[in-house]
Amino acid sequence: MTGHIEAITGRYVNLDIGGVAQRIYFEENGQGTPVVCLHTAGADNRQWRFILGDEDFTENHRIIAFDMPWHGKSLPPESFETAEYLLTTETYMQTVLAFCAALGLEKPVLAGCSMGGRIALQLALHKPEMFSGFIAIEASDFQPAWYDIDWFHRPDAHGGEMGAALVSANIAPQAPNAERWNTQWMFMQSGPGVFRGDLSFYTRDDSLVGKLGGIDTAKTPVHILCGEYDLTCTPEDAKRTADAIPGATLAVMRELGHFPMSEHPMAFRPYFADALERMRAA
Amino acid sequence: MCAGDMMSRLEAMQAALAGKPHLKRLGALFSDTVLFEVDGRDYYLHFHRGALERIEQGPSRKIPWQFALRTDAQALEEFWKPLPAPGFHDIFGLVKIGRARIEGDILRLVRNLRFFKEFMALARGDAA
Repeated sequence: MTGHIEAITGRYVNLDIGGVAQRIYFEENGQGTPVVCLHTAGADNRQWRFILGDEDFTENHRIIAFDMPWHGKSLPPESFETAEYLLTTETYMQTVLAFCAALGLEKPVLAGCSMGGRIALQLALHKPEMFSGFIAIEASDFQPAWYDIDWFHRPDAHGGEMGAALVSANIAPQAPNAERWNTQWMFMQSGPGVFRGDLSFYTRDDSLVGKLGGIDTAKTPVHILCGEYDLTCTPEDAKRTADAIPGATLAVMRELGHFPMSEHPMAFRPYFADALERMRAA
Repeated sequence: MCAGDMMSRLEAMQAALAGKPHLKRLGALFSDTVLFEVDGRDYYLHFHRGALERIEQGPSRKIPWQFALRTDAQALEEFWKPLPAPGFHDIFGLVKIGRARIEGDILRLVRNLRFFKEFMALARGDAA
């Protein structure tokens, strides 16, 4: 045999989320403390491909990453063809909780990036007892859009290509070229209106504003990671968020942008290792 | 940077663009005039089907343009470094840190965003 088969495995789990049947694709690798990883808006679990395959992490952690409904290999629900996809905080939280319950995960660590980081903070506030800690990456309490989210769902243009070109602004110049483009490819592949529907949640739902002080880090630690090249959730945004959560910690990551685990995995891994250690020590 | 230096830079980018078949393909539907303003000096970039056909120096009140990128030479020098500092690494970054403005029909820019951003980055590494 000359080909290298990776240790990552992929399966599907069928869930009822708010009365809607969803078939969710997930990948996993490793044994030990479960770590559930959430992708950004407009992308899928391939953003976590390096963490999933990294033996230094999988030796003591069960790394799991799933595709949100409408994303990657998780199909949209029945009747999607006439629906307007708009992600909400409530549906997003239900999805994460239903997924963890279906896999029988006991108090996993939740690691989410961008909108995944936002929902990690929402769950840190509303369902801390379900998790052992939160790694919130490129995460803040609220980010209004510096662009028009309707650009990404138009009949006269390719939303995926426009979305990829826009988010490239958030990738650090140090990112290896191959991973810079692999990161953008996921946006190019995103279904029509999906990035827009995710951004509706990310840029319009301000329900976390003013509530960060209610997160109890004595029970469940919160560690925030933010790339210095992130234009969407800037280090200032991350600091504002960390400062509002008593006991939360923050690391500003050098030579990284908004998609650290995907755009430059080697630069990201020491920060992720430190974050997992903080979860273990807490 | 004097106007002559900027013209030379733009002409070098024009030549570099002509040598990039993938940009010719990506820009096949891009035939707009872009106003590029640097330190108050105007340069009109006339694109046609993904090629930069002509560069005209302003000022002019007679040349119509579809969108404008207004910035300063110092910001561009940082933007064109191989590894720019945060904020200087992308045209939207320049806007976010207050070193550039984008005006006009922004949707025309966004529909051709990859093409225009890669055109703007063609001078990367050539900065003094």
